[in-house]
Amino acid sequence: MSFLDNVAILIGKVSILVSRFFKLGYGGTWPGEIALTISPDILKHFSSKLKMGMVLVAGTNGKTTTSLMLKSILETAGFRVIHNISGANLLNGLVSAFINSASLFGHISGYDIAVFEIDENTLPLVVNKITPLIVICLNLFRDQLDRYGEVDVIADKWHNALTALPSSSTVILNSDDPQIAYLAKNLKAKVIFFGVNDPSSYRQKLEHATDSIFCLACFHRLHFSGIYFSHLGIWKCDHCGLERPKPDYHNWQSPLPGFYNRYNFLAAVAAASQLTIRTEIIKKTLKNFSPAFGRQEQFKYQGKQISIFLSKNPAGFNESLKTVISLKAATMLIVLNDNIPDGRDVSWIWDVDFENLPKQMNIILSGTRVFDLALRLHYSGRQFITEENLENAINKSCQYLQYNQTLFCLPTYSAMLEIRKIITGKKIL
Amino acid sequence: MTNDYKLTIAWLYPDLMSTYGDRGNIICLQKRCQWRGIDVKIKPITLETQNSQLSGCNLIFMGGAQDRQQKLAANDFLNNKAPVVKQMIENYIPALFVCAAYQQIGHFYRPFQGQDIIGASIFDLSTIHPGDQAKRLIGNVAARLIYPDVLSGTVIVGFENHGGRTSLGNKLKPLAKIIGGFGNNGQDGFEGAFYKNAIGSYFHGPLLPKNPQIADWLIKSALEVKYAKNITLAFLDDSLAQLARQKILDRLKIIYER
Repeated sequence: MSFLDNVAILIGKVSILVSRFFKLGYGGTWPGEIALTISPDILKHFSSKLKMGMVLVAGTNGKTTTSLMLKSILETAGFRVIHNISGANLLNGLVSAFINSASLFGHISGYDIAVFEIDENTLPLVVNKITPLIVICLNLFRDQLDRYGEVDVIADKWHNALTALPSSSTVILNSDDPQIAYLAKNLKAKVIFFGVNDPSSYRQKLEHATDSIFCLACFHRLHFSGIYFSHLGIWKCDHCGLERPKPDYHNWQSPLPGFYNRYNFLAAVAAASQLTIRTEIIKKTLKNFSPAFGRQEQFKYQGKQISIFLSKNPAGFNESLKTVISLKAATMLIVLNDNIPDGRDVSWIWDVDFENLPKQMNIILSGTRVFDLALRLHYSGRQFITEENLENAINKSCQYLQYNQTLFCLPTYSAMLEIRKIITGKKIL
Repeated sequence: MTNDYKLTIAWLYPDLMSTYGDRGNIICLQKRCQWRGIDVKIKPITLETQNSQLSGCNLIFMGGAQDRQQKLAANDFLNNKAPVVKQMIENYIPALFVCAAYQQIGHFYRPFQGQDIIGASIFDLSTIHPGDQAKRLIGNVAARLIYPDVLSGTVIVGFENHGGRTSLGNKLKPLAKIIGGFGNNGQDGFEGAFYKNAIGSYFHGPLLPKNPQIADWLIKSALEVKYAKNITLAFLDDSLAQLARQKILDRLKIIYER
């Protein structure tokens, strides 16, 4: 360890203490930011000290839940795990997580493994710096195009990064997402697939919000013999013969509702199995698994039950809607913000299938772009009320609740933090 | 009521060129017809669709795309559908082309590397990407319509996200004058293009739900061309659209004057 690394860690540690003492926040990002300024290669130092290595979880949707599931399984198995708090999934968030776990002298010798959710654009940067033990790629959907760009561009960057991994690394891919499955091409790393085999869950036809329905190799239209949601399903190219790889992991029941959580869970199981965790340990963990921050998270607020489903892009939003409908939601609060973490462009709400909502549901709308949302719901033929002030919107929504009913909140990212702040007094943890 | 009227709207490449909530434009046209008792059909026109399905349509919409999908669509468009679309537009069939579709109906798109991508030359315009160091033109945007004449002065809002800079040729008129944001190229202060009854624009957001005047103008024009008589559309309450527009104007610090 260099002297600069030492200085960086020490200053990072101090900044976490300062941050918490003055209640400035949890210190999820800026201790790392400061440390990176002093020692740009500090991540390399930390990762080299882990006994086993680093697991990176990437994807448009599900990375928080998947990484939390894997972390919980590993902890049940007795490992000491470093993990980044939700949202802090850029380089500075990863470094902050290390600093948080390190001693004042920068030692992390007590830790076996790090499990990090990682931002789409950060994955290639980190893989270029260090060699992860495992990389999980969950899915790619259109999301905040003004910030992330096109899914094809992200997939290309990922593939370039993954091809550099040696055979000692494992890449875990979703066989049901054509673009993710295609990442397996020309990899030296070991490849493991997860996917769902469940014909009883097939949909009749593709939804509007799909991104990868053409062959990645020959560009002809893919044939889906089964569709789960968006472009995830049992796909094949009738022209060149490219087809969905048979998944190695497919027959586990998810501990959480929502079809998307079946994928999150399968991915976590696949990674845990690679790390030779026994089935009983996985099953034991799931019995007590509570959802990640803002993802089906449950709260009591003024005697009312509130459940938060972070919903920030068309594919994820459609899945949230299906899940709350299946949970017999009677009252729903949708909050659309256009702050930087949400994306400035709210056009994507027109790709969400609000037309599938039951007509009798109580719908309350809020957020900085409440009227864009109202316009969308108006064109879907649904009744709703608008309330720009979020606290008032929550209170109004609660008034609709009858005995034992739950308020289902579907917020974008910054709106989710605001709701948590109103309900719990704290944005993050 | 106007129950006797029927419209068929061609939605070009809904599975390939529909990236930024473009479906909103179709939903808007469809609902505004239905609310007025106009019998409306949406006809998806994609790679496998025959030209005969397209030529009978009364209104055309084509949206934005990601690069890979756009290449697939462009190949089919140039070789198959574009000549039909060009003929329809020359015959005053109203049309709306947004973002990538707007670029594709021009003469060419010049990427910062590689060869020019030939366009359909339906509109007299061309687009150049100024290089990977040039910033993308991204953000909320507002403009004042110049055309169509009946809407001249109307303020429209949207969101733009494009790397290419578009310049209009002499034969083409700009759609609007930018009052906040970038527009065609971030230089000359104009946005979009207007030719006969066809509109090209960088505004997604999408354009029509928040700017229902344009939606109604497209519907009215389509009916007038089809039925060869003056049409007056029934009034619809657009107060929600007005509130959503006001939010963008506030963001852009524009004082709404009309």
